[in-house]
Formats: sequence, structure tokens, C-alpha cells
Amino acid sequence: MMRIRSPKDFWAGLIFVAIGGGFVLLAQQYRLGDMHRMGPAMFPTLIGALLAALGLIIALRSFVLDGAPVPRFDARPIGISMLAIVLFGIALQWLGLVAAIAALVLVGAYASREVRLVDNLALAAVMIVFSVAVFVWLLGLPLPLWPTS
Amino acid sequence: METLSNLAFGLGVALTWQNILYCFIGCFLGTLVGVLPGIGPVATVAMLLPFTFGLGPAPALIMLAGIYYGAQYGGSTTAILVNIPGESSSVVTTLDGHQMARRGRAGPALGIAAIGSFIAGCIATLLIAYFAPPLAELALKFSPAEYFSLMVFGLIAAVVLARGSLVKAIAMVCFGILLGLVGTDVNSGVIRFAFGQAELADGLGFVALAMAFFGITDVVLNLEHKEKQQVFTSRIGSVLPTRADLRACFWSIVRGTSLGSLLGVLPGGGALLASFAAYMVEKKVAKPPRAFGAGDIRGVAAPESANNAGAQTSFIPMLTLGIPSNPTMALMVGALMIQGIAPGPQVMTERPELFWGLIASMWVGNLMLLVLNLPLVGLWIKLLAVPYRLLFPAIFVFCCIGAYAVDNKVFDVYALAGLSAAGYVLLKLDCEPAPMVLGYILGPMMEENLRRAMRISFGDPMVLITRPISAAFLIAAVALLLAIALPALRAKREEAMQE
Repeated sequence: MMRIRSPKDFWAGLIFVAIGGGFVLLAQQYRLGDMHRMGPAMFPTLIGALLAALGLIIALRSFVLDGAPVPRFDARPIGISMLAIVLFGIALQWLGLVAAIAALVLVGAYASREVRLVDNLALAAVMIVFSVAVFVWLLGLPLPLWPTS
Repeated sequence: METLSNLAFGLGVALTWQNILYCFIGCFLGTLVGVLPGIGPVATVAMLLPFTFGLGPAPALIMLAGIYYGAQYGGSTTAILVNIPGESSSVVTTLDGHQMARRGRAGPALGIAAIGSFIAGCIATLLIAYFAPPLAELALKFSPAEYFSLMVFGLIAAVVLARGSLVKAIAMVCFGILLGLVGTDVNSGVIRFAFGQAELADGLGFVALAMAFFGITDVVLNLEHKEKQQVFTSRIGSVLPTRADLRACFWSIVRGTSLGSLLGVLPGGGALLASFAAYMVEKKVAKPPRAFGAGDIRGVAAPESANNAGAQTSFIPMLTLGIPSNPTMALMVGALMIQGIAPGPQVMTERPELFWGLIASMWVGNLMLLVLNLPLVGLWIKLLAVPYRLLFPAIFVFCCIGAYAVDNKVFDVYALAGLSAAGYVLLKLDCEPAPMVLGYILGPMMEENLRRAMRISFGDPMVLITRPISAAFLIAAVALLLAIALPALRAKREEAMQE
């Protein structure tokens, strides 16, 4: 039986095949045209096919060439970071920038294993003051500060 | 003579008090963030992008350029003092720089890095002023076919010189191109790959993409590795190098500058390649070969001059052709587009104040770095003591505000979260984000130029080969691919990357 000798390449290849193939399929709902008058589907189809082909090469090559195993995925840093960023988005929309930064800093800090609540409260306060002063007052970016409605 | 009058015009723009101020803020913030270990110039520029949103195009670009070379310089400071390169292009500086610091010569090491960078920056600025205009004029004559082939060549050259697997890098370029195509197709008005989301009509946010791949994922990977406590022991002392140091370094600076300027122009080149090459050349050429790796000041002077020269000349293809040669330049192109300016050879004629102002400001910025950094070294060292657990939430804040503030869309914040996850998985599988960002920037331009070329040639793809300049670019691209595919050269390349 064939053995996967380079798991990293194998999975990377599969992902590329999926992305390339996905774009090719999605592109078919638009007009293809011909080379003279290229429609909106032409270029994505060409590049998507190329990506899928490259992905296939990478995946097949992983049966021949030796490579490193897929490293461990540590769920905590990436998971907490994403959660904190999404919370920032939700809070910014409904509660304004001050609450959004507080949520981002206080939740995001848990992405690290070492958390000190007092430090993080201070950090959140500093980031709020700094961001409001620089981005809103100094640079005049239209960020809502407080809850709207 | 025209060059001089153009530079004088540029100085007139750069020396208005606002632009001096923005240049100063850029250099200061760039150094400040660049000093922090583990945050490279790309992440620094991406993170500090929101600071330029309220500004006009010229001040914004002047500030970003300041941030860029400030970050370069900050990285060297960290490399010398703590033996942790602040960014990849200062890896070689750690070799001799940190050895000097251990022997109580941290001061002169920092000093020579600043002086070498300054000299290199001045020369590189002159080179840009001299070579950019004719190149832009030549590029204005390019037809869509030439432009398309040039972009293919640029992308191939960039991935050939990049780290890691070539096939994966090309795949990442394709992925980037596809991501760049999301949104309204300028030609037909069709909204592509938007999944019915109105927010995607303008395309996937570039700032969110850059921050996800170079800001957030970097933080996450840093957090996965156990935090190392860095201890700083050596004393700085006087930062002024001795006369003997200066005499020893003169030719090293000259060699580093020439090599760096040359490599900076190449696609995929820029500061990183320049500093590695300069150090290797210096080790072979410098006489007497004394003690490289054990605190030879020339081992600091050459790569530092080279990386600054390379950082600056990499602006040449960006400014004249609109083609970024590395991810930092891709960010600059992105910043131009955010300001509503289409990058390309026409920028020089249509926005001379932007073009020449930026070039002149590079010289001003280099002078600023020299006078700013030497007295402020003490402050930078204090920064190194700030623990990472307090730094990374701040990075989150800047990235989130930046992603939102480009278009004032909350959607881009969610995109930031999603793209960070994608970037994390890809990085875990050794897929480098740099080629992807280049593809993202160039994708729409490639499609447009290919489309026009095909329109003119009535759908005959041979036009790419029958036009001589276009053919030359494509042949060069194929030659590069073949060269890298040959095992002998590949071994050499890996050896060079290992060193």
C-alpha cells in the first residue's frame, strides 16, 4: 500500500485542490466568453485549474518525497484570538469602540497561558484612551465611541 | 541635471513642516514597533497602516516609508542587543553584532549600523531618483501583453527567491490571485465569488488580509511557543565608532550598499536577500579575514548597509511599474489604492509631488533615523523589557481597528478573524503567505492586461511570444523555473538559505 511520506504536503495539496476546484466550479455561473472576448469566468477558471493541478502535484509528490509530519494545532491561541476579534466586531457595531476594545483586550489576553487580570484591565484602559485620542480625535476616523440608537 | 531639479522639487515637498512631522512620526513608530522581537517590517507596516488613513496620499506614503525603514533599523537594534532578530533581514546582524555587544562594544555596533544605513540610504535614494524616471517612461510604452508577461516574470522571480517549496509558493500565488478576483469585475460589472454578500462587492479587504496573515497569525504562532524570558546584560557605552572602526568599515559599507541596491530591485529581493548576500560576500572578500562571527564590526556594517539599500531600491519597481517585489511593497501598493491612486508608471507624471516627495523624504528619513536612534537607544532597550503578554493584545487592537477603518465595515473585522484561521492552517502546512499577498495585488491587474492583450490580438495567445519584450520576460521566467528545478542549483539555494 502507498504510504503518505510527507503529511504536510499531502494536506496542503488537498486544500489547494479544493480551493482551485471550488473557484472553477463557482466561476461557471458567470459568462466564460472566448479568448478574444474573455468573460468574467475565463481568468478565474484558468487560474483555479492551475491551482488545482499544482495541488494535485503537491499531494501526489507527498507519496514519494519525505517530509515533516503535520505539527500539533494548539486550539487555545487561535481559538481565543478569533473569538476576541469576532467579539470586537459585534461590540463595535452595537456598543461602540470603548466596549469593543475592552472586550478585545480582556478576552484576547486569554490567548496566552499567562493571564493577569489586573494588568489586563490596566492595558485595556490604556488602549482605550490611546485609540480614542489618536484614531478618533487626532486622525478623525469615523469610529462610533458609544452605543448607537 | 533634471534629476537634481526633480530632487529639489521633491525636497520642497518633503520639507514642508507637516511632511517632516509625518516622516518623523513614521520613523519613530516604525522603530518603536520594529524593536519588539518577533514583529517584522511587514507586520509593522500592516499594523501601523491605520495611522495613515486620515492623511492625504503624499503624507501617508511618506509616513509608511518612514515606518518601513524605521522597522528595519529597529530590528537591527534588537539583533545586536538581545541576539533575537526583530525581523528576518537582521538575522545575520546577530552573528557579529551580538558578539560585539557581549564584548562591551554594543555602542559602536549600533553606531556603525546607523551610519552604514544612512550612507546606504543616501546612495540608494540617488539611485532611485536617477533610474526610476527612465524606467517609468519605458514602462509607459508597454502594451498590455508586455505588462502581463512582466507580472508573470515578477511573480515567478519572487517565488524563486522565496523560502520553501517552489510548487507550494506558486500555488499560494494562484490562491492570492483568486482571492484578488473576489468582488466586482471591472469589465462586466458582474460581482464574482461574493456568496451574495453585499460587503464583498468591493472585494476582500486588503488590510484585513495583510493583517490576518502577517499580524494575527504571527501572534498566534508566537503564543504557541513558550515565552522565553530575554535577559539583557551588556552595557551600551559610547555609540560612536572609533576612527579605526570607520576605516575598517568603509569598503564594507560600499560593498554592502552596491550589493543591496542591486538585489533590492529584483522581485522577491529586498532587504532580506541583500543582508544575507552582503554578509557572505564580506566573509569572502574582506581582508584580513580576521574574526567574522566573533564580533567583527565589518560583519555588522556590510549587511546593515545592504539591507537598508535593498529596502529603498525595492521601491523602484513599485513606483515605476506598479509591481511590488516583496510583501512590504505589496502593502505600499495597497496603501496607494486605499488612497484612490492606481499604481503604475503614470504616478510619476500625474502625481509628481507624491513621487518626488516620497523619494526626497527617504533621505530626510534616513537622516532622522541617524539622529533619532543613537540618543534614543536607551528608550528602545526599555521597550524590550515589556512582556509579550501585554504586547499582543495591543497588536490585536491595532489590527482590528485597521481592518474596520479602511471602509468602516464591521464585515472586514469578521473577515480578519476568518482569514487569520486560514492563515494559521496554511502556515502550519509550511505555505508561506508572502507569495499569496503578491498574487492578491497583481491578480486583478494581470486579468485586465491579459484581457486587453487578447482583445487586441483577436484571441491569439501567441501575441505574448511574438512581441519581443513580452517574450523576453516569459523566457526569463521559464529560465528561472528551470534553474531552480535543476538539482545542483537547488542544493546551492538550500545551502544559502541555511546559512
